[in-house]
Amino acid sequence: MMKWMKLAIRNILRNKRRSFVTLLAIGVGFAAISLFRGYVSNTYSGLRESAIRGEGLGHLTIFKAGWLEKGKLDPEKYMFSKEETEKIIKFVTEENGVVLATPQIQVAGIASNGITSTIFIAQGVVAQDDRTIKGAWAAFRPVKGEGLNEKKSYGVEVAQDLAKFLNLTPGKDGVVMTTTLSGQMNAMDIQVMGVYDSGSDATNDKYMRFTFDFAQALVDTHKAERIVVLLDNWKKTEQMRALLLKKLTGAGIVCEIKTWNELSLFYSKVRGMFDMIFLFLFTIVLVIVVMSTVNTMGMAVLERTREIGTLRALGLKRRGVSLLFAMEGGVLGFFGSFIGVVLHVSVWGMIRASSPTYTPPGISTPVPLVVDLVPRALFVLMLFLVFLSLIAAIVPARRAAKQNVVNALGHV
Amino acid sequence: MALIEMQNIKKDYFLGETVVHALQGIDLRIDEGEFVAIWGPSGSGKTTLLNLIGAIDEPTTGDLAIAGREVRSLSDNQRSELRNETIGFIFQGFNLIPVLSALENVMLPLQIKGTSFGQAQAKALGRLQEVGLSEFIRHRPFKMSGGQQQRVAIARALVNDPSLVIADEPTANLDSETARMIIGLMRESNEKEATTFIFSTHDQRLLDQVKRLVRLEDGRIVDGGMKR
Repeated sequence: MMKWMKLAIRNILRNKRRSFVTLLAIGVGFAAISLFRGYVSNTYSGLRESAIRGEGLGHLTIFKAGWLEKGKLDPEKYMFSKEETEKIIKFVTEENGVVLATPQIQVAGIASNGITSTIFIAQGVVAQDDRTIKGAWAAFRPVKGEGLNEKKSYGVEVAQDLAKFLNLTPGKDGVVMTTTLSGQMNAMDIQVMGVYDSGSDATNDKYMRFTFDFAQALVDTHKAERIVVLLDNWKKTEQMRALLLKKLTGAGIVCEIKTWNELSLFYSKVRGMFDMIFLFLFTIVLVIVVMSTVNTMGMAVLERTREIGTLRALGLKRRGVSLLFAMEGGVLGFFGSFIGVVLHVSVWGMIRASSPTYTPPGISTPVPLVVDLVPRALFVLMLFLVFLSLIAAIVPARRAAKQNVVNALGHV
Repeated sequence: MALIEMQNIKKDYFLGETVVHALQGIDLRIDEGEFVAIWGPSGSGKTTLLNLIGAIDEPTTGDLAIAGREVRSLSDNQRSELRNETIGFIFQGFNLIPVLSALENVMLPLQIKGTSFGQAQAKALGRLQEVGLSEFIRHRPFKMSGGQQQRVAIARALVNDPSLVIADEPTANLDSETARMIIGLMRESNEKEATTFIFSTHDQRLLDQVKRLVRLEDGRIVDGGMKR
């Protein structure tokens, strides 16, 4: 095999300019795909962390069956009682890989500073658990002020645009108003313990965070709307969902469990868009690689017709001729991909050195432009392009193999 | 023993609607160890006859057996094997592979056969030594003279120890001295190893040294049995 490989490499070097153009086309195509893949990979992991930790969705969220469909119409019926909540938390935290399970409640209403009022949407969270969920993410979007504290249950955190609108800064007081589960109006005093950036222009003027006890008191209940589960690894999400669903259903708890990506609409939509762009780009590169290889190999067959005749006269079988040209296609794919890897690493290094930032649409602050270096993805892409080039060379290779020996020897 | 047996061989070519009768009923028997020249005017069918004997072309009608094997019954792969194991080719234009060195060109038939690299190299070196090119083994064809290239082609044709070597105008592109050397090499191989040589030529120097002349005219053998 090595002798034919050597012959294939030398044949590629025969017409250096043409081979270089083909290699460059494959290399640039490879780099375009791999860099975009690296960018998308980083974006996906950023969005994932943003959904799990930034939005506080955790990895799994347990709802009472029917909550997502009818919960807003009859909240009390579709919330977990205190006993159910404690039971679920006990069952869930028994499992290996579960970091915590924490109850939450969502409240919407009107917030006021005594002069101006506006709508708000708040999550009632257990402060300590919320800090655990945020983890290192908290440093990315730090809270200005002390933050939530269970000892001061009326202390709240306010998203930055809402705080600005109501002129609420840490230490200042306000009022929040909503209806209880039984439909009565209820208002409670709050003190701003922190101001934070929700990360999105769409939510920065609405979001608040309450302590869980305060949220329960505001809607006058001891129930929980959902139980958020944090795992030690996001890759366990699906497996844990199946396990917990079986376990809780077996214990007589009628519930449904949603994953972080099912609940984060932003993640799903961005991923859908990037996947489509990736497919589009990939298709273009695929066509370029195939056309370049077919063209190069087609020219090679034409130029080397007499040589093919000689090889056939010396006893090389048709299959051998096909293999030789297919191998040349594969070698083109390999070296083209290698150029692509060099380009990828160079651009990756430049981006790391210059640390550029940009502000995506709908996002409140600039984010760093980062391209991941994923060796496995580069390797898989390389294998794919080698295979693709090999396949692309098969058509001209078959044409070469089918030539009549006498005609090929007489070719000028 | 008959190495080549041809009975009533005809070969037609189609040029559009015109049929060209290149060979019109050839009967020919060539035994092992013969040194045969096919000669005749241009267009008489010499190359066509050699192509059929070399199993790189098929007759339109008639029977052709090479080394006892009926060519028509062989598949393309079997013909390739027959060529590789039994027949050596020497072309007028040398037809060396330009990206391979002299040694690699000579090794090629052995490597096609599947001989190990070491054995192929040793055998190819031996053949190159026989044709006086030991010092040119690393040279690529474009760095060699026409005579040297033809000697590499002879080494390549002989490297598999074939029963038959077919040469199409082997001295046509060579000067007198080189042509004499090439003829000498072919004669030497014929005498020492009893390799059968069949070649087409117009070269009187070559015709003077053959044991048997087969004269073709208009696709027919007009004088085929003469032995010298």
